[in-house]
Amino acid sequence: MRRTRSAAALAAVVLALTAACSPGEPAASGAGQPVSGGSLTWAVETEPITFNPHQYAQAKARLLVWNTFEALLTHDDKGGHLPWLATGYETSPDGRTYTFKLRTDVSFTDGTRFDAAAVKANVDQFAVEGYNPTVAAVQLRNLDRVEVIDPATVAFHLERPDVLLLDFLSSPQGAQVSPKSLKEAKNLKAGGPELAGTGPFVLDRYTAGQEVHFTRNPAYQWAPANAGHTGPAYLDEITYRFLKEPSVRVGALTSGQVQVIEGVPATDEALITGNDRLTFARGLNSGSAYSYYFNTAHAPFDDIRVRRAFREAVDVDAVLQGVYRGSATRAWSVIGPTSPFYDKSLEKTYGGDAAEANRLLDEAGWTTRDADGFRTKDGKRLTVRLVQSAPFVRDRRDVLAQAVQAAVKQSAGIDLNVALVDQGAATQALADGAYEVFDNSRADTDAGAALNLLLHSAGAINRTGVKDPELDRLLEEGQASTDQAARNGTYQRVQRLTVTDQALILPLYAPADQVAAAATVGGLGFEPTAGVPGSAYHLWLGK
Amino acid sequence: MIGAVARRAGSGLVVLWAAATAAYLALLAAPGDVVDSIIGDGADSPQIRAQIIAEWHLDRPAVVQYLDYLWRAAQGDLGRSYLLQRPVRDVIGDQLAPTVRLAVAAAVFGVVLALILAVVTRGRWARRVSSTAELVLVSTPPFLIGIVLLSVFSFRFGMFPVSGDRGWAALVLPAVTLGLPIAGVLTQVLRDGLDRALDEPFAVTARARGLTERSVLVRHGLRHSLLPAVSLLGWLFGALIGGSVIIEQVFGRPGLGQVTLQAVSGSDMPVVLAVVVLAAAAFVVVNTAADLAYLIIDPRLRRS
Repeated sequence: MRRTRSAAALAAVVLALTAACSPGEPAASGAGQPVSGGSLTWAVETEPITFNPHQYAQAKARLLVWNTFEALLTHDDKGGHLPWLATGYETSPDGRTYTFKLRTDVSFTDGTRFDAAAVKANVDQFAVEGYNPTVAAVQLRNLDRVEVIDPATVAFHLERPDVLLLDFLSSPQGAQVSPKSLKEAKNLKAGGPELAGTGPFVLDRYTAGQEVHFTRNPAYQWAPANAGHTGPAYLDEITYRFLKEPSVRVGALTSGQVQVIEGVPATDEALITGNDRLTFARGLNSGSAYSYYFNTAHAPFDDIRVRRAFREAVDVDAVLQGVYRGSATRAWSVIGPTSPFYDKSLEKTYGGDAAEANRLLDEAGWTTRDADGFRTKDGKRLTVRLVQSAPFVRDRRDVLAQAVQAAVKQSAGIDLNVALVDQGAATQALADGAYEVFDNSRADTDAGAALNLLLHSAGAINRTGVKDPELDRLLEEGQASTDQAARNGTYQRVQRLTVTDQALILPLYAPADQVAAAATVGGLGFEPTAGVPGSAYHLWLGK
Repeated sequence: MIGAVARRAGSGLVVLWAAATAAYLALLAAPGDVVDSIIGDGADSPQIRAQIIAEWHLDRPAVVQYLDYLWRAAQGDLGRSYLLQRPVRDVIGDQLAPTVRLAVAAAVFGVVLALILAVVTRGRWARRVSSTAELVLVSTPPFLIGIVLLSVFSFRFGMFPVSGDRGWAALVLPAVTLGLPIAGVLTQVLRDGLDRALDEPFAVTARARGLTERSVLVRHGLRHSLLPAVSLLGWLFGALIGGSVIIEQVFGRPGLGQVTLQAVSGSDMPVVLAVVVLAAAAFVVVNTAADLAYLIIDPRLRRS
C-alpha cells in the first residue's frame, strides 16, 4: 500500500518534470551564403548597466551599442578611421579645428533627421552638469565648442590640438542619439527603448535581468565601407540573453537553446572546438595589456632593481599556461599587441630569469631571509601588496595573482600579498597609497588614451606615481600629432621608457574575447581595432 | 480587536524603520563612499568627483541625508539608483513579479513535497532513504543543485529552457532548485511532529474509535505536526529570498535577487535600502500570517 503510494508520488513528479516542451536541435550544416530573415538568440555574460551610449563604460557591452547607435567615424583595422555618419573630415593646419561633412540621407528611427544640429546637440549634452563627468573631463577636455556651419557640415573647435577627438567620434560615447530622445526621454541616462538611434536595429524590449530584444530597422542604408554588406541587416530580430554563469552559457549553446555565446572559459574551450556542429573564435582586445603597475612612490619599488627583480622572478609563460591552459596571449608591453603603436622589439627582452632576480635583490640589500624563506632588509620582510576589487575581477585574475604570488616566492623570496576586497576598500587602499602593485587593463580603442590615464603625471589612473617630464612630453606629443607614423614613433619611445628603461610595468596578457556559435550562424567576427565581438549587422542564419 | 490590529501595525512600522536605519548605518560603516562606487574602476579625478557629489547632493552631513531619505521614503519616494540611473520604484517594480512567482512556486513545491514525503515515508526503510536524501539536499549548495538539474534536464534531455521568466516551463527548474532544500528541512520537522503526535494518548483514542491508521495520521497527526512547521515560516521566507539571489544568477532569471546583489556590491544605497524595507515589510506580513495560522490550526489558542 505504502509502496504503491510513494511510487505514484514519484510518477507524479516525473510527469510534471517531463510535461514541458523540448527545443529542436539545430541542423549540422555550415552557414553557407548570407540569407535574410530569421531570429537569433545570443547569450552574453554582462548585462549593461545602461543602454545610453553616452554613458558607456563596459567593454563587454560594446557589442550591443552598435546595433542601435552609430558614430561619425568608425575604426579600420590599421589604426585609422573610416567615414560612417560623416562622409569625411578635414583638419586645419594648426590641428585645432576638425570639420566634418555629414551624410544627408540618414534618419533616426523616431523619424528625426540626422544633421549638423543633431551632432551639436549630442556633444553639447556632455556639458550638462552630471550627465557624464568622466567624458567631459577626459575625452572632451580640449573641446572649445561645436559649430553648425550648414545642415551637412559641422566643425569641432579645440583649445589645443587633440587627435583623440577622432577616437571619441568613433566611440560609443561619441555615438549619435536622436535629439528628440535627448530632450524627452524620462530615464535618459539609463537608456533603453525610449532612446532612438540611426543603427541597423531598434531596441524594442528590455527585460532587466533577463534579455534585451532588437528588431531590424528596414530603412537602414548607411553601413560603413568595411561592414561587408549594405542595406538592412540580415536578421529579422535578435535577442541577447544575460547568462552570467559560464557553464550555463556553454550548456545552453551545446543543447541548441541559444545559437551564439560570448565569454567562453578556458576550461570549456575543448568542449566547443571538439564539436563540429559548433564554431569558436577569439579576438584580442585593443587598449592596454593586463599588467601589474609598480608603485614607485615608496619602498621597495622606489628602487628600480627591485622592480626588475620582480619581473625576472616571474616566468610569465609558465604562469599563463598553468592558469589559462594555453588560451592566453602573453603581453610584452603596456600596449596590447594588436595596436598599431605596439613595439614588437620589446618581446623576449626581459623576464623569467630567477638567477638575475636574486642577483638584483642581493645588490639592492635584500640579503637576509626570515623563517618563512622571504627576503628581508633591516629586519623588514620584502612584502608587496596587490589589492583587487572583487566586483571588477574577471578572467580569473585572482587565480593568476595567486600563481604570480607562488612564482615570486619560490624563485626570489618576494612576499606578494594579494587581497581580494570590495570596491570601497580597494578605492581606500589606492587613495591611502597602501599598495605596491596595481593591476589594470583598459579597452580604449586608441591605446594613447589609455596611456594618458595610466602614465601621465596628471593621469586619472596613474598608480605608479611616476612623474617624469620627458614621459609627459611624449604623451602630450602623441595626443597632439595627427600624423600616424609620428604617433607610432612617439608611443614606441613611451613603451621603451616605461617598460625597458624604468621597469614600471610587468605586462602579463593581452585581454581577449571569445565567441562560440552553432555552425549555422554566419558572419561572426570581431570589431576592427576594438577586438570585441561585432554587432548583429553582419550575422545571418544559414538554413 | 481594533487595539490589537493597531498594535500590530505600530510594531510593523517600528520594524520597518529599524531595518532601514540598520541598513543605512551598515552601508555608512562600509569602507569607501558613494562616490567611489559610482566611479568604479574608471577615471578618477577631483573634477569628476566634484560633479558626482554635486549631482547626488552628497556634500550634506550623513544625518541630514538620512533624515531626508526617511522623509522622502515616508512619502513613497524611494529615490534614484546611483548605478542604474532610474527611479528605485521602477527598478524594483519591474523585478518584483518574477521573484514572487519563483518564491511562491518554490514554496508550494517544497511544502507539498514535504507533506507527501512525511506522510508516505513512515516505514523503516523508506524513512531511512528519505532522511538521507533530505540531509543531502539540505547540505548541498543550491548553486550545485541548480547546475546539476540544468545539466540533466535542460542540456542533456532538453526538457526545460535554461533561462528567463518565460512561462511555466522556465519556472520548473528554478522552483525545484529553490524548493528542494526547503522540502528537506520541512520533511524532517513534520516527521518529527508526526512521530510525537502519534505517541500521544489522543492517537490511541482515535484508533480505539476505529479510525484507520491513515486517517489518524492525516486528520490528527498532521495537524499537530504543522504547529512547529508553521513557526518555520519566517525561516522559509528568508531561505526563499536568500536563495533567489543564487537561483536567478544561475538561471538568468530577472528578479529582486539579482538587483540586490548588484546593489550591494556596488553600494547602491537607495536600492539596498528599498530592498531591505521591502523584505522587512514582507517579513512582518509573513509573521502575522503565521500567527493567524496558529489560530486556525490549533483551536485551543482561540479560546485563550
